[in-house]
Amino acid sequence: MEEKLLTIAEAAEILGVSLDTLRRWDKNGKLVAIRKEGGVHRYYRQSDLDLFESDLIKIAFDWTIEESELPPMFYCENSAVFQTRLVKMQNAMMGFGLSENTLPLIIAVAGEIGNNSFDHNLGKWPDSLGIFFGFDVVKRQVVLADRGLGILSTLGRVRTELKTHTEAVKVAFTEIVSGRAPEERGNGLKFVRRVVAGNPVSLFFRSGDAELRLKKDNDELFITRSQVNTRGCFALIEY
Amino acid sequence: MRIELKKFGTTLISRQSGKEAFSAFQSSMSLIKQDEMVEVDFDGVITFSPSWGDEFLTPMLDKFGDRLVLFPTNNPSVKITVKLLEDINKRLFRIKA
Repeated sequence: MEEKLLTIAEAAEILGVSLDTLRRWDKNGKLVAIRKEGGVHRYYRQSDLDLFESDLIKIAFDWTIEESELPPMFYCENSAVFQTRLVKMQNAMMGFGLSENTLPLIIAVAGEIGNNSFDHNLGKWPDSLGIFFGFDVVKRQVVLADRGLGILSTLGRVRTELKTHTEAVKVAFTEIVSGRAPEERGNGLKFVRRVVAGNPVSLFFRSGDAELRLKKDNDELFITRSQVNTRGCFALIEY
Repeated sequence: MRIELKKFGTTLISRQSGKEAFSAFQSSMSLIKQDEMVEVDFDGVITFSPSWGDEFLTPMLDKFGDRLVLFPTNNPSVKITVKLLEDINKRLFRIKA
């Protein structure tokens, strides 16, 4: 049975926002409305609103742990899709009171983490290729995740002495690694650390059983071992 | 020659697009005289990242050395990226006074 469509007024009531806000979100890609063929009115599916209000962290985490089904709105199969959605996020964030100093840093940090997933795993994805990418401009969160090889496996090719996920994550965020041929990559996570160290941005990052926390305006790395061993990488940026 | 990076886009993020930009710019390189300065202008760029910068600015620095000059900017994503690229390459960029 086809799902009943909600009018923009009904959707506004459910989400507790104004009609103008929904129109703006439709325009900037934050919550895209449906239009009937040839029509101009905006409609919404209840399931899309549920997703919109859902917990980004849980959806991403479930995907990395058990390869649960990923809603298309959060899935970037390749880096071209990711770049497009990154620009949409940039446009969406512009209307939410971010300072002109913080905005480019959030986009660049998300870009480096997401592109790392593609650069490190291209042609080597163990199962699902691509990444999870979601953002919430109200909660001020950006979530990225992949089911790739993870930091230890990829960095271990050029740093064979690395044995644990915690060692690998520490090196990835602190040491400039040169001579990574044939892989042209690296050093994006050092950028992430420098941004967090001097700005109102924080990061939670997980790869394997290593969990790293970078706190805003703080140069210190907090790395711990988790009970859970996850696939690929998971990142939560808060600002 | 002055290169306005905004002509490559306002969100300069990935290695792939950095490579494409450098490749596109190579056709203009023959127009640069041997003693001519090459100036890079970040005006209009919203977001800049090390991946893009490493694919564009690093080969530019290799090719032009001290003839490559970066325009100063207040954009923090540019400033942190340029400093990181200097640390990676162990070479400083010239910044226009």
